Amino acid sequence: MGLVDVVRAGRKPFKRAYVAVFLWFTGRAIQAAAKVDEQVRREFDSLPDDFTFSLGVLPDGPWMLIGKDKGRVKYLGGNPGGRRIYIRLAMKNIETAFLILSFRESTALATARNRLITEGEVPHALAMIRVMDIVEVYLLPKMIARLAIKRYPSWTPGRKVFGRIGIYTRVLLGI
Amino acid sequence: MDLPDYYEFCCRVKIVAGHNALEKIPVLLADKGSKKPLIITDKGVVGAGLIDIVSRVLQDRLAGTLIADNVPPDSDIRIVHQLAQLYRDSGCDAIVAVGGGSVMDTAKGVNIVVSENASDLMAFSGAGALKRPLKPLIAIPTTAGTGSEVTQVAVIKDHEKHLKMAFLSYFLLPDVSVLDPRMTMTMPPFVTAMTGMDALSHAMEAYYCLQKNPLSDAHALSAVNMIYRYLPIVADNPLDPNGRLAMSVGACLAGIAFSNSMTGIVHNLGHASGSVCGVPHGQAMAILLPYGLEYNMHKCEDTIVRLLLPMAGEAVYHDTVKEQRPQKVVSLIRQLNEDLHKMTDGRHARCFGELKDREQKPTVPREALPRIARAALLDGASMYNPEDTDYDDNLMVLEAAWEGHPLDRSKVKKG
Ligand SMILES: NC(=O)c1ccc[n+]([C@@H]2O[C@H](COP(=O)([O-])OP(=O)(O)OC[C@H]3O[C@@H](n4cnc5c(N)ncnc54)[C@H](O)[C@@H]3O)[C@@H](O)[C@H]2O)c1
Ligand SMILES: [Fe+2]
Repeated sequence: MGLVDVVRAGRKPFKRAYVAVFLWFTGRAIQAAAKVDEQVRREFDSLPDDFTFSLGVLPDGPWMLIGKDKGRVKYLGGNPGGRRIYIRLAMKNIETAFLILSFRESTALATARNRLITEGEVPHALAMIRVMDIVEVYLLPKMIARLAIKRYPSWTPGRKVFGRIGIYTRVLLGI
Repeated sequence: MDLPDYYEFCCRVKIVAGHNALEKIPVLLADKGSKKPLIITDKGVVGAGLIDIVSRVLQDRLAGTLIADNVPPDSDIRIVHQLAQLYRDSGCDAIVAVGGGSVMDTAKGVNIVVSENASDLMAFSGAGALKRPLKPLIAIPTTAGTGSEVTQVAVIKDHEKHLKMAFLSYFLLPDVSVLDPRMTMTMPPFVTAMTGMDALSHAMEAYYCLQKNPLSDAHALSAVNMIYRYLPIVADNPLDPNGRLAMSVGACLAGIAFSNSMTGIVHNLGHASGSVCGVPHGQAMAILLPYGLEYNMHKCEDTIVRLLLPMAGEAVYHDTVKEQRPQKVVSLIRQLNEDLHKMTDGRHARCFGELKDREQKPTVPREALPRIARAALLDGASMYNPEDTDYDDNLMVLEAAWEGHPLDRSKVKKG
């Protein structure tokens, strides 16, 4: 059965771990940003009450899910648990995921290059991409965030500093 | 940027083009095993006598052909369901679309519903919802124009919700497109003008938007060359058969280009102004195209500059100082709009402010601009635009396009 193993390709444990940690972190950061940042909160407010979003890697993960629950935005780990997924952003494979999540390619370019596949209604997908762009600005230093998004925003120093502190604290505490 | 490390390109449409191309239709239908096609068209196309021409070609061969002519502008989801019912009830086995983008997109919608045996077209909106080939579809464009005859796109309006829905799938590519100048010669000058500007906007947006690739570029550049040259010729002389054929081929090239590289802010705001105020698609494109170039200029000046040579030719290119070449592209488009305005006795609008509907009421009241700016946030074309666009950006561009003033590029937010 040697051939099958070759075709399946390596497990790439390092990249897989990086992606898993990244997704976990981003999930908690989105949950936090929905509390801390006005614009993220508004984006979620405009989405359906049982809205669920998933981001992950084809074919078999890892995945992370974000869902609205009684008006609150929650990181739901990696398991949909029977929820209807409104939007799924799937990275084609672990290599691609690594490329995107190490910010060597923007979300927009990754979509243009067919490496990031969006499933679901377009308006919802656009809202989630805006949310992720904002979260990236909070989480990453300007030099790196610039590579991940089309245009680095000019926020007030207050929004950036307090938002960043708020989000990092909440991510670490998981609230 | 010019050589992306990965891209996909697909245009598997058979194209039959020329002065007697229509005569090939019976053979094309036979190739597909069709005995009873449904012809989908609209009242304007019938009124121009085009269905008579097509029927004459089909005579004898296909006595069972059915004709439906109730497609409204921008298509309509309810009509799609109605026509699908007609197709099923009458046992049709292929669709022939004879019309502009509204008709061809309706035909694509009908094809989804009948092929998938679906009850609701909307379940298939967005990208990738279709998983298998549809029934045979032959597209005969009567505008030179949308390029829908070679695109994987359909845009269908939900008139009740004021929403234009996009459908995207390689399975939406028609099987065959027939380009025959007899089909476009009857277009009145103002329809020629705006649909031609739609085609030009496809070529240009395909060339500067994010999914561009060497194959879409090749199609885009030759499209720009043909459209820029022949559009004023046919607007001025509608019965010029060679000019008409050239425009059809130009629009087709532009369609192939943008079907594979997608479009940006011009279509983004254009779809939104169509949804909110019912601005005819081509008219929105004509007005917005110079603004799309201006808005993205700081990000892709090097790309935009390469449009100048195919547009204006060597003499103009060399006579323009290097630094001014990108701006020259923009001013040539404004000039073209100006010329078309004159040739159509003022019917071709140059800015949203001067656009009037049938009752001479303003199509886009200034107060509607914020609603359009907001609606644009729901449209996928923004994704492929080089620069980011938010509500304020949209509004800024719309306000300039309403007034007809060039965009103040110092106000464009840069990251
Ligand atoms: N599928 C795509 O790839 C794509 C691309 C761009 C636009 N679109 C869509 O296409 C639609 C617009 O299509 P369009 O610009 O071709 O206009 P259209 O199909 O709405 O036609 C405009 C008018 O011109 C008339 N007409 C058309 N051909 C004629 C002829 N030869 N002689 C006399 N009258 C004629 C029609 O009856 C109609 O009244 C919009 O809904 C737009 O969103 C689709
Ligand atoms: Fe268009």
